[in-house]
Amino acid sequence: MLALSLLLALGAAGCGGDDGGDEAGTEASEGVDEGAEPGGTFRTQTDAFEWTGNFDPTGEYLATFLGLYQNLLGRTLMGYNHVPDAEGNELIPDLAEAEPEISEDGLTYTFTLREGVMWGPPLDRAVTAQDVEYAFRRIATPALVAQYGFYYLGVIKGLQEYSDAGGLTEDPEGETPIEGITVQDERTIQFDLEAPTGDFLYRIAMPAAGPIPEEVAKCFLTAGEYGRFVISSGPYMIEGSDQLDITSCDTMQAISGFNPNQRLILERNPNYDPETDTPEARENFFDRFEMTLNTNAQDIFDRVRQGQLELAYASEPSEVVREYSTNADLEDRYQINSGDRTWYITMNLTQPPFDDIHVRKAANWIMDKEGLRRAWGGEPKGLIANHIVPDTMFNNNLEDYAPYATEGDAGNLEEAQNEMRQSKYDTDQDGMCDAPQCKGVLHVTRTTDVWANMAPIIEESFAKIGIELNTRQFEDSYTIIQTVKRQVPVSSTPGWGKDYADASTFMVLFDSRSILPEGNVNYSLVGLTPETAQELGATGTVEGITSVDDAIDSCNELMDEERLDCWQELDQQLMEEIVPWVPYLQGNADFVISDAVSKYVFDQASGDPAWAHLAIDQDLQQ
Amino acid sequence: MATVAPEIHEAGPPAEPETDVVGLSPRQLFWARFKQDKAAVAGLVIIIVLIVLALAAPLIAKLVGHGPNDLFQREMTDSFGVPKGPNADFWFGADQAGRDVFVRAIYGARTSLIVGLVATGIAVFFGTIVGILAGYFGGKIDTAISRTIDVVLSMPILLFAIGIVAACGTTGCLNGLIEPGLTLVIFVIALFSWPYIARIVRGNTLSIREKEFIEASRSLGAGNTRIMFREVLPNLVAPIVVYSTLLIPTNILFEAALSFLGLGVPQRTPSWGGMLSDATQYFRFAWWLMFFPGIFLILTTLSFNLLGDGLRDALDPRSNR
Repeated sequence: MLALSLLLALGAAGCGGDDGGDEAGTEASEGVDEGAEPGGTFRTQTDAFEWTGNFDPTGEYLATFLGLYQNLLGRTLMGYNHVPDAEGNELIPDLAEAEPEISEDGLTYTFTLREGVMWGPPLDRAVTAQDVEYAFRRIATPALVAQYGFYYLGVIKGLQEYSDAGGLTEDPEGETPIEGITVQDERTIQFDLEAPTGDFLYRIAMPAAGPIPEEVAKCFLTAGEYGRFVISSGPYMIEGSDQLDITSCDTMQAISGFNPNQRLILERNPNYDPETDTPEARENFFDRFEMTLNTNAQDIFDRVRQGQLELAYASEPSEVVREYSTNADLEDRYQINSGDRTWYITMNLTQPPFDDIHVRKAANWIMDKEGLRRAWGGEPKGLIANHIVPDTMFNNNLEDYAPYATEGDAGNLEEAQNEMRQSKYDTDQDGMCDAPQCKGVLHVTRTTDVWANMAPIIEESFAKIGIELNTRQFEDSYTIIQTVKRQVPVSSTPGWGKDYADASTFMVLFDSRSILPEGNVNYSLVGLTPETAQELGATGTVEGITSVDDAIDSCNELMDEERLDCWQELDQQLMEEIVPWVPYLQGNADFVISDAVSKYVFDQASGDPAWAHLAIDQDLQQ
Repeated sequence: MATVAPEIHEAGPPAEPETDVVGLSPRQLFWARFKQDKAAVAGLVIIIVLIVLALAAPLIAKLVGHGPNDLFQREMTDSFGVPKGPNADFWFGADQAGRDVFVRAIYGARTSLIVGLVATGIAVFFGTIVGILAGYFGGKIDTAISRTIDVVLSMPILLFAIGIVAACGTTGCLNGLIEPGLTLVIFVIALFSWPYIARIVRGNTLSIREKEFIEASRSLGAGNTRIMFREVLPNLVAPIVVYSTLLIPTNILFEAALSFLGLGVPQRTPSWGGMLSDATQYFRFAWWLMFFPGIFLILTTLSFNLLGDGLRDALDPRSNR
């Protein structure tokens, strides 16, 4: 599930439907429904746009995008109803008119597209199977950096080979067909898989697998470019889409309603036919949607309080959490849902001193996790994380599993030093990292408030075992840590939410086959081989890194309880034998809304507000 | 018989009793003028206090029992992570991580003074040499140097500084010559500060080189180097001292601005700019986070400015404010 967690303590209550809310110190929100009426403009602000693929559905891997795209902009063959809890993780046919036909051997999926689903302006034509097929060609085009291409490459027959040949080029004549994707007619598409893949339908529900119109996208064969030309197949479109001149590639100017660093303005798509959709999935109350940038998070919350905004899409400052948590009048304006999301500190296995497992274990022992949670705003922000996959996704089976548990989650110096003594970087075995590599270790983090608050706590924790961090804050910190050549030793930037309701979507973070030179999400480089390192330009300790690829493959072949057990074992193996992370928070999804929000629903699948179900009372707007 | 010269007494009215005229050295004259400027003296006192505090920061931290990076989060933030204000143990309150604002403010004085003094020192050294060369030789050398000064002064300094710090802030620059952190900040500030001194030195040198004593020195066979550094330079001390003093607060503010933008000294190194930056998200309910470093910053810059004005008046009484 959802990739790069934005600044919010978003989350999604989990797979398997266990909301886990009470244990997080919060109660799962029931939402708000005070009589929804259509119309109006839904206004929200964020304190940082952190797109990872510039809004291009092929490459974008930010949770924010997933929610916006699936709710408002794009139709995928399979989708969700955008509701909370277990129901929100259930797949429904979206662009497909029904569940696909699946062959008995589980290798062939045949989808039939709904009639009447149209591309928005300026295309004004029906969405076809060819559009879906073209999306997969984009996924398999290395230059477009499909950040979760690993869900499809090597899974759909021939897709990896198509990618190896270079994918899309400016000369369509020279391209080869993809063996495993057959467009039978304009409304029928068939996928042939290399092996049975139990979660293939979830993968199909991801935005990158949704249709993309070739006549527009063919002009943008560099990563992220298409993000400013996204054509809608959903109920809304980017403002100004109808002004796009698609006569030729040269005549196309970026759609005015989207600037990746400033704003996203949506308006109704005139070609959207509600008859092709269901109100359970999308109610589409508001007429217009505005998400703009305001780097002053406090101001965002002030504006929500004053009714100038309907929702704050930013991490709540501590006093806002306190205010909304302790003031009964504001309680129903603070929406908290449990999250399938883990916030963590990633350590690069190739970079000293983190190329030593004892240092990584010492980092887990020493980290003041409760301190970090306070930096987020305290208990309402989630549970302390002691392992990788959120408890809710394991039906709380690993709830008591805490290999580095410390009193009060404040860190344990003695245990940390015991571990450090076994490290080659502790030359005098005094429990302190004293080699030159322990000084000035680059620590990359974000610029936003929560991360700024966490920095001193992380620095001080590491300093207790002799590791001096050189903390640098970057607005594009995700991009930096996703670029292998940057060789960032440690970063507190990332969080990870489910892409869909299966623990496998966390384990992709440790699959060596998912390592990319750019847009890489295996930040720790688990499973990196010297050969791959050479290809990627990675240096450091690139030999002897343990791989869990086989374990991942083994788990992926299993179903139900066996599958769950397998992922649980792998989680424990990672935490004890590889130790790529210091997980510290199982984040909640909490949002502050204004009095003008007459209907609030949480979208479990994306971990964001269910934009397609939100409504406003225009009389209460300022 | 030895002869003795007779005492000669000039005829005239009897001498009046002598008035007690005492000759004053230039230094005494300077001090006499300077101490009349109460504001400048106050500035000097505050600067001395700040320097003492900065030097004694480790001792103060030891006495208080809190280091600048010691975390007291459990004691000094509530369960939501909201910092608590001043009390008997934390005189200036604590920040969001539970660090003692008083101790950090004192350590921040170290950072500000080090950056301010060292960066100004570098700028003065370089600017003086360049300015003398330009003013003394004139011609093409003057043109080249003056245009370079114009170019540097025309740059959007803060933007350039941000760019350089951002580019070099991770791994350093110039093959490690410029390392991230304090060194980098000092380098960047000095890089954009020297033209101010250079321009003033050049202007004064142009005037001094036409003086008779320079001509006399040259006629006695003195070389250019000797004239520049033995004859001209001593006459530049007054303006250099004055403008250096005025440059220090500017550079302190420059450092604070960079730190405020997250591009200054490393986060573990307390700095007033960094503290002010951290305070922005809490200032409405944690006034102490912005108030104390702000007061320190204002007092320091004000004191240096007052001192600079006082020095100017004392060293050059003909100048008009």
